[in-house]
Amino acid sequence: MPTPFLPPTPRHRARLRAYAFALLLACITGESLAQPTQRTPSLEYAVKATYLYKLAPFVNWPPTEFTAANQPFRICVAGDDPFDDYLKQAVAGRNFSGHPFEVRKLDALAPGMDCQIVFIGHLRSQSTRQALDAVSGEPVLTVTDSGVPADQGGIVQFVMHGGRVGFAIDTTAAARNHLSISSKLLNLAVAVKDEG
Amino acid sequence: MRAPSHTCRRGALALSLLALSIGSACATSAPQDLSNLSLEDLGKVVVSSVAKTPEPLGGAPAAVFVISHDDILRSGATSLPDILRLAPNLEVFQTSPSNFVISARGLSGSTAAQNFPDKLLVLIDGRSVYSPIFSGMYWDAQFVLPENIERIEVISGPGGALWGANAVNGVINIITRGAAETQGGMLDLSVGNRESGVAAQYGGALGPHAHYRVYARDFRERSFKNSDGHDAHDGWHNPQVGFRVDWDASPADALSLQGDAHNGHVQQLGAPDARIAESDLLAHWQHTLSDTSSAQLQAYYDHVHRWGDASGGGFSLSTWDIEAQHEFALGEYNQVTWGVGDRLYRYDIRPRISPASSLLWDPANDTQNLANAFVQDQLALGQRTELTLGAKAEDDPYSGVSLMPNVRLSWKPSANVLLWAAASRAVRTPTPFDEDVVEKLGTLTFLTGNPAFKREKLTAYEAGWRAQVATRATVSVSVFYNVYDDLKTIEFSPTGIPLLWGNAMAGHSYGVEAWGSFTVTDWWRLGAGFSTLHQYLHFKPGASGLLGVAQAGDDPSHHGFLRSAMNFSKHWSLDADLREVSALPDPKVPGYVELDARLGWKVNDKLEFSLSGFNLLHPWHQEYVFPGSDRIGRSVSLDTRVTF
Repeated sequence: MPTPFLPPTPRHRARLRAYAFALLLACITGESLAQPTQRTPSLEYAVKATYLYKLAPFVNWPPTEFTAANQPFRICVAGDDPFDDYLKQAVAGRNFSGHPFEVRKLDALAPGMDCQIVFIGHLRSQSTRQALDAVSGEPVLTVTDSGVPADQGGIVQFVMHGGRVGFAIDTTAAARNHLSISSKLLNLAVAVKDEG
Repeated sequence: MRAPSHTCRRGALALSLLALSIGSACATSAPQDLSNLSLEDLGKVVVSSVAKTPEPLGGAPAAVFVISHDDILRSGATSLPDILRLAPNLEVFQTSPSNFVISARGLSGSTAAQNFPDKLLVLIDGRSVYSPIFSGMYWDAQFVLPENIERIEVISGPGGALWGANAVNGVINIITRGAAETQGGMLDLSVGNRESGVAAQYGGALGPHAHYRVYARDFRERSFKNSDGHDAHDGWHNPQVGFRVDWDASPADALSLQGDAHNGHVQQLGAPDARIAESDLLAHWQHTLSDTSSAQLQAYYDHVHRWGDASGGGFSLSTWDIEAQHEFALGEYNQVTWGVGDRLYRYDIRPRISPASSLLWDPANDTQNLANAFVQDQLALGQRTELTLGAKAEDDPYSGVSLMPNVRLSWKPSANVLLWAAASRAVRTPTPFDEDVVEKLGTLTFLTGNPAFKREKLTAYEAGWRAQVATRATVSVSVFYNVYDDLKTIEFSPTGIPLLWGNAMAGHSYGVEAWGSFTVTDWWRLGAGFSTLHQYLHFKPGASGLLGVAQAGDDPSHHGFLRSAMNFSKHWSLDADLREVSALPDPKVPGYVELDARLGWKVNDKLEFSLSGFNLLHPWHQEYVFPGSDRIGRSVSLDTRVTF
């Protein structure tokens, strides 16, 4: 509670001092990098993009997945694309068991989109949960980014740990999508969730 | 599929070295090499520094310093004001074991002129904790277990458009961890030369989607010596209990209920102990509509009861508050946030009547209403530029509707640099203390509140630069220029005495706030912060000039710190914080340099010891105007934490 008022006493004006904050600012600004605008993603997303196509061999795809011998293997990026063109360039000329990699960008997920791997980024017209439910039961490997709450994770969820990019696997979600994950991948995972 | 192992190792090593170098080099050359790495080696690529994962370059176009959970635990500080010392953009002065004067960008007020630091909005999980009776803070009444604090966002500058009318010079937003993150049991015992305490907490799950925690703590802090070196007899203790329950009712709904209660004693020289008690209950509902749209509803009840304190009187205050907020993307370029809220508070002030001096309110009790509405639009002007337009309208019981607009611009010329600028208007609306107070000396009414008291106004111009200058170094620099009008003064009434509160001061201030962090190695991080202030205030024509412009604030022209955080091994950590505060101008208080340090020993996952020392360099120092504030002496404390 404020204390009662005390009788006034004369006060002098405080002396003012000269000051050069502009100089300080110039010193600090001089150090800043004048970086050219660049479109490559950060190292973190370069690593995540590389994971996306390197996961393909470690998933046991159902025999009915591919109808033609050289049918493309589609990696779809739903929502905001954090990879810019890096993913496209990285998979150019590569294939999985004869199926050439193809990268497709989507705004949202719906059943029957014919993607083998889907990376779910920041969606604008549906929630992550809705996107996962849209492809539930289809042989699609869903991948979600780090920072997404655990209950909205896909089969594979990126995990940041100790400054490195790792991943967690949800085997129940994989089973729901008729996929099984090779034990090699389970061993490399940071965490394995085996109950919904 | 696997590349030859020696190529893998070389590739990974090359990448790690690249990751250590300047960010631009990383981003351009590294992606070419990743394709040759096996999955295993891919998981070893260092994408960010280990000692501190840097936050993605914050896009907020404001001077925001975030005190992280890790910073808090490493400082060894237990009270909120001591934790707030970690922010370079706050002035923190301790006056007694339980009292602090805290302000941002000056205007810290003057106890002699009854001008309290009243331009700071403090929120705990969205609950506003400043007192609406005089717009100031009782720092002895707010406590959060340090382990439960997720982060504290300290925003210096006006936050009127988003936060409200008290956010003139800053907003302190304290965010606690969810119950799911504080599971299991914890027992914390600390013993020290000045303070001893015990805290216990237990968190568990109520089914697969709900979690809870309950805690209790008590402590006793010994009295300090006053500025003459005699026992100030102002020790205190304030036991507190509380809980939190979080329930993920559906994938799109998160509900939370939390509450606290405390009831403490503060010793007083020559008077019985003052009593401070508060209990609060807060409910929050967050609903996700889509990835770009969400809504939240919050309601809280807060009851404060303080009696027998320094002025002898007391009061009780009950607050009911409800707020709704909706955030959504409008088209491709706009992110809109809008909300409405209402706060009803009822206070009952018991007067202090004595032959020498009396303090009372007329009316002594009242029920008042504060309503607000706000809207904010973030426009993406191109890929790297964002314009934020916002305004809040607040209707307070005394001065009617206040409009607080602001405009902010942020520009990211590259991935690692952010430039921002802002212009805003904020007001400090009148309170019962400004309008209804009656102070008597003997039988003479010496000063009264002013029914025509005007809002104190601020127009602020700010700009800043924030950059990740290397993979392991971040810097932030902000400058501000504040123009004040109608600041509180003491004027004569038409009959001379009684005096009245008036609004006859104006002026401007400017300064710089800078801070940075440098991760020297994986186990050693350095931080530094610095703030400067120049305040030029003057009386308007016709002012009485009583008590001078110094009554608006006794603020240091600069203050700063150097901080070091080291992890010697998996078990040992050493932290040190060297801070300096320059002299306070008027009334004069000498400047000081002080050192806090903490040595931590993590025996295993369940047991941790730490030895903390505060104000180690000198036997004592003064932080605020004296007489009237205590000597702050050295303190050490040994802490044991057991988790189970």
